[in-house]
Formats: sequence, structure tokens, C-alpha cells
Amino acid sequence: MRRVNFYSGLDIDLSLAHKYDFNPYYCNIESSLSDPIIIDGKEFINLASNNYLGLAADKRVAQAIAQAAEKYGASMCGTPIATGSMVLLQRLEQRLANFIGLQDSIIFPSGYQANCALFLSLAQSEDLIIIDHYAHASLVQGVRLAGCKVKPFLHNNVSHLRKILEKSSEYKRVFVVTESVFSTEGSIAPFDEIVNLCAEFDALPVIDDSHGIGVIGRSGRGILEEKNLDNFDGIYTASLGKALANTGGIISGKKELIDYLKYSCPGFIYSTALPPPVLAGIEAVLDIIDKEFPILSERMWRYKQMISNCLIDSGFELTEGQAPITSILIKDLEDCARVAKMIHTNKILATPFVPPSVPPNENKIRLIAGANLSENTINKALDLFRKIGKEVNLK
Amino acid sequence: MSLEERVIKTIEENLEKKEKVGLNTDLRNDLGLDSFARVIIINALEDEFGITIPDYEFKNINTVAEIVKGLREHFPDLKES
Repeated sequence: MRRVNFYSGLDIDLSLAHKYDFNPYYCNIESSLSDPIIIDGKEFINLASNNYLGLAADKRVAQAIAQAAEKYGASMCGTPIATGSMVLLQRLEQRLANFIGLQDSIIFPSGYQANCALFLSLAQSEDLIIIDHYAHASLVQGVRLAGCKVKPFLHNNVSHLRKILEKSSEYKRVFVVTESVFSTEGSIAPFDEIVNLCAEFDALPVIDDSHGIGVIGRSGRGILEEKNLDNFDGIYTASLGKALANTGGIISGKKELIDYLKYSCPGFIYSTALPPPVLAGIEAVLDIIDKEFPILSERMWRYKQMISNCLIDSGFELTEGQAPITSILIKDLEDCARVAKMIHTNKILATPFVPPSVPPNENKIRLIAGANLSENTINKALDLFRKIGKEVNLK
Repeated sequence: MSLEERVIKTIEENLEKKEKVGLNTDLRNDLGLDSFARVIIINALEDEFGITIPDYEFKNINTVAEIVKGLREHFPDLKES
């Protein structure tokens, strides 16, 4: 009977999806992230992936992956501390650190795992973790697992952060945790101010740059370049599955930190290392960024501006994002479901965010135009948004 | 300032958006507070009144009036101003 109760208690609320006969999640993609993308046999314009630079389906990247698979096979079948430690892994860890502007890094199977594992290894019961209210679920899970005092601060609000820091002297160590780019709205953290506050109060800044690496900064090196933070002595994490167009996550920072984690972080030591083809793919993306970032970046930002302008002209309310992300803000949950369905029916793939991913009455539909899309595709999308804007009747 | 006024002022100052808060305001249904937002409010009340509120005290609290009642019950020495 206990087993029956267990399974009958696993409820999910799909009432909205049933009402509108539309569930935007777990769609059936049958192609690469090409232009167009194929879903259930139909061509869609992809404005949903975090494929900012459009390199996920780049032939040069695919070729590097294929060559690595031929040379090294599918997997090293070992953790990084054992047979996972191969030449491509070590080379990429150092190359990513150099790219970001830090001393060293380690690569995890995912960004989520890196963030969860970090605090479990570093924080102790006498410590305080201060975290942005809207930080990513992986950071929230990570700090909750740490077992020390956690104090959230109001989103991107340095005055509130200062107030908390002013009362932090009783704690052994203080970490201040935030993201560079908040991806549901596209806002960028005032991380230079946060780093200065950390210096003033002897706290350690921790930044998740998942939506910043390969995207922001003069040459795409992320938040530290964007905010001119030379000599950053905090902790840096990022997903490798967004602009870097593959999978995995990194923790980067001072050599002492990375050496410590290599021998004391269970989430790293006991996870199978990323396979060689993945590592080679990320290297190929870094090669392309080194040579082509100005061209790709210009296109990415231009598309963002075109989409944002069109949506505003079509009567939609947008969030005030500074990243190449356009988020339509729709207060009413049912309106959001309706607009999401209209966008999907018009063969545009977008990402709706509803609570608990966003606060109540702040539902969003996120659009990211990768640099692989043609201008013709973007213009087609704009025509469709204008049409939707005329048909939609928001509360 | 009464205890009620101090609680309301503290909550209003620690929300992501400007909202009018009253004694009957429901933290979840009216303000849409998630778990972290509730922690922000609890921490702010602790600072405002110089107290430590155990996590379980706020677990089943929904309205501002219930916060005030809870504070009076558990911290009878709280001053009104």
C-alpha cells in the first residue's frame, strides 16, 4: 500500500497545458540546431536555444568532435582523478582558465553539478552565504546543501547586500553568490560593485557566468572582461552548454582553489570525466571565438535589437535586459500560455517561463536569436510577431 | 510606531517591488513571495527587532497579522516603537 500511495502522490499540474491543448516543454526536435530546426517534421525558427553564437551545428565543430571520437573513442571510462585525466581534458582546463583570465579550472559533467558540488566542498557550518534572490536553481540547491547560514539579498540590489554584509562579522567566512546574466530577463549583475563590496567586508565573491561566457565582454570572455575585473580573486563557475555550444561546467579561480577541489570535491572526483569528443568540440568553439567573435557578436546583438524593437512596436511589454536575450513579460499566466501557443503555432520555438521558475505575475517568454540564423529568418520571425501582436488581446 | 506599523514598514522595505502591505496581506497569494523572499523578510524582521526567529516559527504563517501575532507570542518584550 505504501508503494501505491507513493506513486499516486507524484502529481504534476498540467491543467493549463490541457486547457490550451499545448505543452511547450519536452518537444520532439528531429534536427541539429540548424536554420530552420525540425520539430515533429515541421520547420521552426529557433529562438529558444542558448546557442548565442550559433556554433552548436557548426561544421568545423562537428568535424573536431568526429576526429576526436575517431582518435580517442567515446569515453575514457574513468573519473578525472583516474583514467579520465587525459591530454584533452588537461589542455582544455588550462585553456578555459586563460580564456576567462584566471589561473586554473576544473571541468564537471554539467554546470548544475559544478554549482551544487562547489558549496558542499567549501562551505562550513560557521560560514555565511549571501545569495541573489533570483540566482539559478543550481546555486540555490548548492547553498542549501552547504549546511551553513544562508541569507538571500534583493535581486541585483547592492544597498541591500551592503546591509547584510555590515552584519556579517560573526561568521567565519562569507561568500557572496550571484550570476552574471540572469537568463529569464537578461539583466546583468552589477558585479564590479559586488566585488568592491566583498573587498570592503572581506567576503569572497562567487559568480556564475553561464550566460556570460562567450557572450559578453569585448572579446566574449564573459563577465570579468565585461566589468574590467583584472586580478579577480573570487570563484568563477559557468556552463559549457550555452555559447560554448557543448556540455559540462567549470569552476575556475586561483590555483590553490582548483588544486584543493581536485582532491576534496566529491562531485568532481567521483563523476566520470567528459568524453574526449566533447572536449574537442569545446576547443573548436574557442578557436572560432578567437577568430570570429566580432562578426558573430555583431550579428547576435543586431538580431536581439531587431526582435526587441519589433515586439515593442507590436505592443508587447519586455523586460529591461542588457544581454542578447529578449523576454516578453506577461503578467497573466493564462495570457502567457495563450501567447506561447500562438508563437508555437506560427512555427517559432521560444521558451515560456512560469512560476516557480519566475515570480508569480512575472511570466516570461524568452527569445534568443543565435548568430547562425540568417537575416532572412529573423525578418520572417518579425513578420510573424507583428501578426501575433495584431491577433493577441492581452488582459 | 506600533508593532504592526514596524512590521509592515519592514516588509515593504524588503520586497523586490513596491507594494502596499496591510495586516491582511497574504505573503504568498497577495505578494507572491517564494521561499527566499520569505527568508529575506524574516532576516529583516530579526534585524529590525534584534531577535532570532527560528525557521519553524514562520513555516505556517500566511498573513502579516499572523506575523505580528507570532512576534507578540514569542517575543513579549518587543517594544512598540
